[in-house]
Amino acid sequence: MSAIDPDAPLDELDERILAQVRAVHDEFDPPPPDLNERVCFAISLENLDIEVSRLYEDTRMAAGARAPEKIRAVTFETDSLTIMVTITVGPSDDVLRVEGWLAPAAPLRVELRMPDEAGDRRGRSLFVTAEDNGRFVFGGVPPGLAQLTIHRDPDTDGPGAVVTSPLML
Amino acid sequence: MNAEPAPGADIRAQRTARLAACLARAADGELGALDEVVAELNPLLWHVARSQGLGDEDAADVVQTTWLELVRQVHTIRSPLALTGWLVSATKREAWRVNARRRKQIGPGVDVLADSPDAAAGPAEQVLTNERDRTLWRHFAQLNERCRVLLRVVAQVGRPDYTEIADALDMPRGSIGPTRGRCLAKLRGLLLSDPAWSTE
Repeated sequence: MSAIDPDAPLDELDERILAQVRAVHDEFDPPPPDLNERVCFAISLENLDIEVSRLYEDTRMAAGARAPEKIRAVTFETDSLTIMVTITVGPSDDVLRVEGWLAPAAPLRVELRMPDEAGDRRGRSLFVTAEDNGRFVFGGVPPGLAQLTIHRDPDTDGPGAVVTSPLML
Repeated sequence: MNAEPAPGADIRAQRTARLAACLARAADGELGALDEVVAELNPLLWHVARSQGLGDEDAADVVQTTWLELVRQVHTIRSPLALTGWLVSATKREAWRVNARRRKQIGPGVDVLADSPDAAAGPAEQVLTNERDRTLWRHFAQLNERCRVLLRVVAQVGRPDYTEIADALDMPRGSIGPTRGRCLAKLRGLLLSDPAWSTE
């Protein structure tokens, strides 16, 4: 093998090698085709006074004999709030039920934002208020991208909203 | 030393001005201001996340989380010149969190990087149709992990950004740019000594 000087300036052959490294990775491991769409949806937020909630766990399991549908359980975490969500199909085959819990429990306003087919950047949102025990339910949710936002009082609780990264439901 | 402006300096200045305008519009609350920046930088961030050993779903989530953190902090980012480096560092940090969490969930003693996308050359050999590309992949796979991360990520950006990106990946000074650095020298030596790899 020829000895190559690492301290030499980058030359044109180095650039061609890097271009090939790039081409090979772009071919072998390209970003998912919907990644740009997902990111652009995620960051189309009215209010940037947010805390970002990280996806902690995302598991899919068979619901068992009594309930034929699959259950998906997703947990998001920030230092101040944990959001646990289960997603099931029903009552009809083409809609989902999203049931969640906030910990610590609080009757906060919960928003589920989805892309708007008519093209509004803000998407369209469903709102519910969590019960005192932190439980909330969205029924009749169409499959697709969805992002949860928990709205709270910015004066007392830190940033005015806790935002999750979008899930593909 | 080279006193002339590097080739592409004008293009870079224009790009910086364009990024500055996008960031300012985003900080003003304009929805969609960052769309073109996202389209431009997403492939880079994807390769950062994947080079840290994340699977598809985790990598996509880490990239989304990184952009959310950017919009949260968009008021604090003073220089668009630093934007790319900021995003690369943030993606690496988010990927590190996910890997740490996975290790905790799986339990100690399990190497989460064992399934890393570039650890096995096998599938790539089937995906890549061109003999020259397969040859490059074979030699690339022999580099150590640090070099694979560096070259994979740096290859996504233009030459003026090499040093900034290497810094953002916490690579030592001189890893790449303005000099070739050890990783690229190693790969170049392997390729030049293989008759199956031609320089065209």
